[in-house]
Amino acid sequence: MRVLGAIATREYASMFRLPIGWVVLALYLLLTGVVFAAGSLRPGEPASLRGLFTLSDWLLLFIAPAISMRLLSDEWRQGSIEPLMTAPISDWQIVTGKYAGAAMFLLTLLAPTLVYVGALEWLSAPDYGPIAAGYLGLILTGMVYLALGIVCSALTSSQVVAFLTTIFALLILRIGTTLGAAAIGAPWDAWLYPLSIDMRMQDFTRGIISTAHIVVLLAACAWLVTIAVSIVESRRWR
Amino acid sequence: MIEVADIHKSFGVVEAVRGVSFTASPGETLGILGPNGAGKTTTIRMITGWLPPTSGRVTIDGRDSVDDTLLVRRKLGYLPETTPLYPEMRVGQYLDYRGRLFRMARTRRRAAINLRIDQCALTAVRTRRIGELSKGYRQRVGLASALLHDPPILILDEPTSGLDPSQIAESRNLIRELAETKTVLLSSHILPEVERTCDRVIIIASGKVRAQGRVAELARSRRHTVEVRADQDDALRAARGVAGVENISARPCGEGWVRLEIDASESAGDLREALAEAMRAANRPVRELTIERAGLEALFAQAVEGNA
Repeated sequence: MRVLGAIATREYASMFRLPIGWVVLALYLLLTGVVFAAGSLRPGEPASLRGLFTLSDWLLLFIAPAISMRLLSDEWRQGSIEPLMTAPISDWQIVTGKYAGAAMFLLTLLAPTLVYVGALEWLSAPDYGPIAAGYLGLILTGMVYLALGIVCSALTSSQVVAFLTTIFALLILRIGTTLGAAAIGAPWDAWLYPLSIDMRMQDFTRGIISTAHIVVLLAACAWLVTIAVSIVESRRWR
Repeated sequence: MIEVADIHKSFGVVEAVRGVSFTASPGETLGILGPNGAGKTTTIRMITGWLPPTSGRVTIDGRDSVDDTLLVRRKLGYLPETTPLYPEMRVGQYLDYRGRLFRMARTRRRAAINLRIDQCALTAVRTRRIGELSKGYRQRVGLASALLHDPPILILDEPTSGLDPSQIAESRNLIRELAETKTVLLSSHILPEVERTCDRVIIIASGKVRAQGRVAELARSRRHTVEVRADQDDALRAARGVAGVENISARPCGEGWVRLEIDASESAGDLREALAEAMRAANRPVRELTIERAGLEALFAQAVEGNA
């Protein structure tokens, strides 16, 4: 556990030692700030963060791959994976540590948006149920995206390739399970709709916290991280 | 104690290592010598457990480097060839991170970092970013991190590549100092480096061991050079009187000096003392008397040619 923490904190700190962390943070806060000011802060609008959550859901498609792209690909490129994998730590600890570091950064990204909640509280009386549900949904969605991102990052030594493949995979998942499913029609759409992450996210935005959604999203994270571990393990046998 | 038993490694159709066996005992410095692409790095990677051998086995203190990999890794300090580090981290931060990966408690970690920073002369760059450092400093950061947990076995892949001559001398001294208490395995394609640092050497070419033995034995040379003030016949006569001399050639080199090149018989070895004595007895002043240190070089050239 201590080792996992060491890897996670190094990964987390690296986001701030490199420009990438600051750039992502600044752009995200700028965009959400504009949407909040232009949407929720207008007289007559409901005191909710629904606009922020919908936008963030879309932004995560690009932000999550930017966070996850260097997790493993940079280790392959620099060769620093070799001293890492010859230290007395398991491949599991390496991957989950890195994943935890990325998830910590995601939380850091969302934390400043709590200011918007404060602003709503100051101006009117927001309903905290949908807000809490929305944050939970964003965190879970982001964690699935990061898990998919670490799989792509494990497959290549190029950050750009990792970034692009993650975005494409996420877009295929998103379009395939909505527009794609509608186009294909019965009986296949019944199989595709449950795979949709943003359908679940929409429920969270409406304030619905469903155990099924939480379990499915967490299971997806675990499954994807396991795949990433297998990819890292398989490198030894080539 | 490192025991390597008939390891092979194939990458697809390419067989990089084709049956390498050797042992390294505690307190010994073993050099793996070979041209570029000989299989040195692949061999080292199999010892550290980074690559599993296709066949054969590596044991470290009796533990298999694949089956007991986590246990084995604790005993090893490893400096990979390219010294991969994280450029965005500071030297102190990186060493602290490595200490945490080896589960060193905070107080022990701090003491170890201070010791290695001192030992590897990194005090001046402790708070600098690794990406800003020169190659020599980066190499030393890598070495400090390999030494941090005080491993009984130190594995260094080309530890002096890219260093300038004074840095090479410094790192050689440090390695020799460490070798007093540790098993050191180092690879190199630079002959004098291995000759000066190692007790024993293995010459690898094309994935096979071509020669191995103690440096002193492998490097034994029989070619002597003497410059003496005499006429050619007198000089030849004096030299022929020395037991063990086989072939002599002589040529004048001006101002009354003669240069003799003398090969000793295999059993005779170093004849410098006997030759000096013979010239003194003949009352001939000597201005140069050397034995060529090319034994290892010849062997290396032979090993490398052998596979061409």
